[in-house]
Amino acid sequence: MRAVRRDLLTALRRTPSFIHIRSLAHQSRRTLSSATTSQAADTSHSSVNPDEIAHFSRLSSMWWDERGEFGLLHKMNPVRMQFIRDKVLEIMRDDEGELSAERERNVLQGLDVLDVGCGGGLLCESLARQGGNTLGIDASASNITIASLHASSDPALRFSDSGPSASSSSHTKGGQLRYEHTSVEALLAREGPRRFDVVCSMEVLEHVDNPRQFLQHCAELVKPGGHLFLSTISRTPLAYLLTIFAAEHLLRLVTPGTHTYAKYVKPAELLGFFQAYRSPPSPSTSTTLSTPTPSTSAESAADATRPWISRLYGGVPARTEAETRGIVYVPWNGEWTLVPRGAPGKECAEAVNYLFWVRRPRED
Amino acid sequence: MLTAFRVSKRRVRLATRATRSLSTTANHEESDIVIVGGGPAGLTLASALGSSHAVRDTLKVTLIEAGDLDKVRGWSMQPGKFSNRVSSITNASQAFLQDIGAWDHVGVERTCPIEEMQVWDGISDARIMFSAAEMPSPAGFPQGEMARLTENLNLQRALLRHLASHPTIQLLDKVKLQSISCEEREGGGWPLVHLSDGRVLRARLLVGADGPNSPVRAFSGIQSYGWAYDTHAVVATLDHVPRSPFEPPNTTAYQRFLPTGPIAFLPISATASSLVWSTTPALARRLVASEPAVLADMINAAFRLPEVSMRYLHDRLLEADAPLSASVLRDEIAFRERAHGVDPRSAYAVTVGATTGVPPADADAVPPLVTSIQPGTVASFPLRYNHADAYVGEGAGARTVLVGDAAHTVHPLAGQGLNMGLADVEALARCIHDALSRGGDIGSYTALLPYARERYFENHKIMSAVDKLHKLYAAQSAPVVWARSVGVEVLNELDTLKAAVMMTAGSGRYSSQSAKAVGWDLAASGIENVARGVGAAKSVTDALIGIAGAGVQGLLRQVTSPRRS
Ligand SMILES: Cc1cc2nc3c(=O)[nH]c(=O)nc-3n(C[C@H](O)[C@H](O)[C@H](O)COP(=O)(O)OP(=O)(O)OC[C@H]3O[C@@H](n4cnc5c(N)ncnc54)[C@H](O)[C@@H]3O)c2cc1C
Ligand SMILES: C[S@@+](CC[C@H](N)C(=O)[O-])C[C@H]1O[C@@H](n2cnc3c(N)ncnc32)[C@H](O)[C@@H]1O
Repeated sequence: MRAVRRDLLTALRRTPSFIHIRSLAHQSRRTLSSATTSQAADTSHSSVNPDEIAHFSRLSSMWWDERGEFGLLHKMNPVRMQFIRDKVLEIMRDDEGELSAERERNVLQGLDVLDVGCGGGLLCESLARQGGNTLGIDASASNITIASLHASSDPALRFSDSGPSASSSSHTKGGQLRYEHTSVEALLAREGPRRFDVVCSMEVLEHVDNPRQFLQHCAELVKPGGHLFLSTISRTPLAYLLTIFAAEHLLRLVTPGTHTYAKYVKPAELLGFFQAYRSPPSPSTSTTLSTPTPSTSAESAADATRPWISRLYGGVPARTEAETRGIVYVPWNGEWTLVPRGAPGKECAEAVNYLFWVRRPRED
Repeated sequence: MLTAFRVSKRRVRLATRATRSLSTTANHEESDIVIVGGGPAGLTLASALGSSHAVRDTLKVTLIEAGDLDKVRGWSMQPGKFSNRVSSITNASQAFLQDIGAWDHVGVERTCPIEEMQVWDGISDARIMFSAAEMPSPAGFPQGEMARLTENLNLQRALLRHLASHPTIQLLDKVKLQSISCEEREGGGWPLVHLSDGRVLRARLLVGADGPNSPVRAFSGIQSYGWAYDTHAVVATLDHVPRSPFEPPNTTAYQRFLPTGPIAFLPISATASSLVWSTTPALARRLVASEPAVLADMINAAFRLPEVSMRYLHDRLLEADAPLSASVLRDEIAFRERAHGVDPRSAYAVTVGATTGVPPADADAVPPLVTSIQPGTVASFPLRYNHADAYVGEGAGARTVLVGDAAHTVHPLAGQGLNMGLADVEALARCIHDALSRGGDIGSYTALLPYARERYFENHKIMSAVDKLHKLYAAQSAPVVWARSVGVEVLNELDTLKAAVMMTAGSGRYSSQSAKAVGWDLAASGIENVARGVGAAKSVTDALIGIAGAGVQGLLRQVTSPRRS
């Protein structure tokens, strides 16, 4: 088993990482507001863009080189974990009042957590250390190999290679960690909806086809009252300038071809999506794969469920329903900074990289 | 403790690449943090980690010390007698030790506050004084105190007492780090720490707190930059007469810069003080070999006689075939005093000694007269300057971090070595805690980087200030000597010393917190900076930058303007 992996890794390393620049002009504007229905009808692997997956597979051996290709993602990890932690704790406090010190330390203890597009498992390991029973899925098999290999070297992670039951003994209180090569569509089809307390998908949205459908699938997997966390890049000139032009071409921080401008999603578009989005009524097994657009689903499901975001106040959702927060890279600190709530220039910061959280309404 | 310093690098076999069998034979123990070195830095780190609930609950911490920690635990000296290894613990360091609950275990009756410091130039007599009132002191500290002179063993014993209440921190003593290898694994192996008793620890994070010759630093492949000063420090515990009721108490530290190096007098009680005399290796050898009365008079003279006479006495000491006797030295000093017209009733007189009655008006310009040397306290150390190129290892040395003298060794003239180490430990402990609270891997480069960022430049500033000062005084070139002799530059340089001392006096402790508070400001200007960086590379795509740049300008105005209003 080990030997096979080793061969795979060496093969990966030898693959020349050729420069792959996609032209803006040839990219159709597949934004959230202009999703086409023909693509939505596509079945199981509809969100997976083969070019994207090939691109990440080529780079997969570099996931854990903290100063290499994915260095910026490594550095982003503390900030996004901080956001996840703070948000989950905030909502728990709203629901349950004061929390124990134990809970504050292991926020995700006992929760089922899914990371969609987990890559090398950067976020998954942190989620598991915070106590979450974590499943990481990715459309690239070699990413899953790397993620598994890395997790298996850390005795504090209760990583299991096979079934969800196996676990290595450890005195730490981390949750179980598993990886699987699958798509969100296939997972939903197999496991059914309402499976996870927390669903994350970080820096993936800008790489998928049918983002609308991708989001719906992610959302359906969230348990009522659960959380959906996203991070992505906004579609603004500044984002283009900093992420594609500067990061890829000028500074070569990431391999050219990593980003496609047309796939960037603005915070307002995400908010708009969840203002319209209603979960399929419960209990539902048959509706799992039907992906109605909010406008059509509204009639059938209106009585049963309400939209995830009820209204915006001057463009801003209620703190208990959703939140967008900009994150900014500060070069001389070598750190990402989470822009404070209500900070001056908040909108500006969200013009590039931002984190997004939304809660699935409770059904009680 | 002194001999424990001398761990030869050669005796540590360094294997950066282990055989596969080594990594797969699973007869090793897992430990999240392995601290090598039970000196002040290592013990403080263990204490700080032990005092954190989150760390105690989730991480296994092991400390390895070659020496016998029971000797430190059981250390005691009769009142009035003091160890020769002392450090001035700044308020900032003390506040940190209090926060982690270790300071309460220090025998405070054996410590002494330093309220004032007098530093002067041996040639020009240009002098500066600094007092606690000018120093930023952390909240809750008496304004009058700038540091506390504490025996290193008093501190180390306190740390061990504190650690006794945190049994989950594993202390392994009388065991040596023998070698370190790096597991061979895809995606980077973890360090395997081989101990002299045959045990092997697999470390998520390996901390080098193993002093100036740091075997951990050598393993991790971190280069260091430094040199040996052609200088040794003679240390001793000095007995002296108490200050009279008409004089200020013995809470002033004195340091005089002689061309051979600075001599420092550090109060530890009303009638005892500690000596740190940096001088040439040959002189240091003679001073250590002298009979106690000779050393005492040499010290008294070194704080008082004009520089020409000190030079003469040094020569006498070096030339004498047989050791200089106390009576001969006394005659020599008396002769020089008469030649210089030193008033026998002034504080500058060595040979007349403390008379009864009203003290001379200038009594506090120099330290009290030394009457004897505490037996067994005279020793000497070579001094060096050394700064690791990095504090966090990479590649085959990944998951290693350096603190204390393993990261930096500095001339003792500003009394900062230990304090810098404690500040390192505070920053590292905070860094570990932060990473842990966000589910980070505390051994990863990403988790450790904030520590290096917080400490490296800070230490570098102090070290270069101190080094510059040493160099100025050690320089023999004519212009420098001339400038020194007339006092030009000297005061400036003494200000450098002051700055170095101030840097660790308490302000540093809060700089990190305030840095966090202004994080967003930095971030805002971060956008500006990136935008500018892109703007600078005009040649590539002028038009594009023109358009996007305009957007950036607008956005930046949004970011910055509300703050100003
Ligand atoms: C003359 C003099 C005066 C000074 N005065 C001051 C002062 O006034 N103020 C101040 O702040 N600083 C002062 N310093 C500096 C201060 O003493 C040092 O900075 C401090 O002792 C460093 O502590 P440390 O824990 O980093 O290293 P160390 O004290 O050197 O401890 C290292 C430990 O690691 C152990 N070790 C090493 N190798 C191994 C191995 N292979 N296996 C197991 N264990 C190992 C050693 O046994 C030792 O216990 C002075 C220094 C000198 C020389
Ligand atoms: C930029 S990486 C982010 C990795 C990880 N989430 C992180 O932030 O560390 C994008 C990842 O998404 C995966 N991916 C892209 N499209 C996907 C899809 N439709 N379904 C699942 N994974 C996808 C890629 O293989 C790649 O690993």
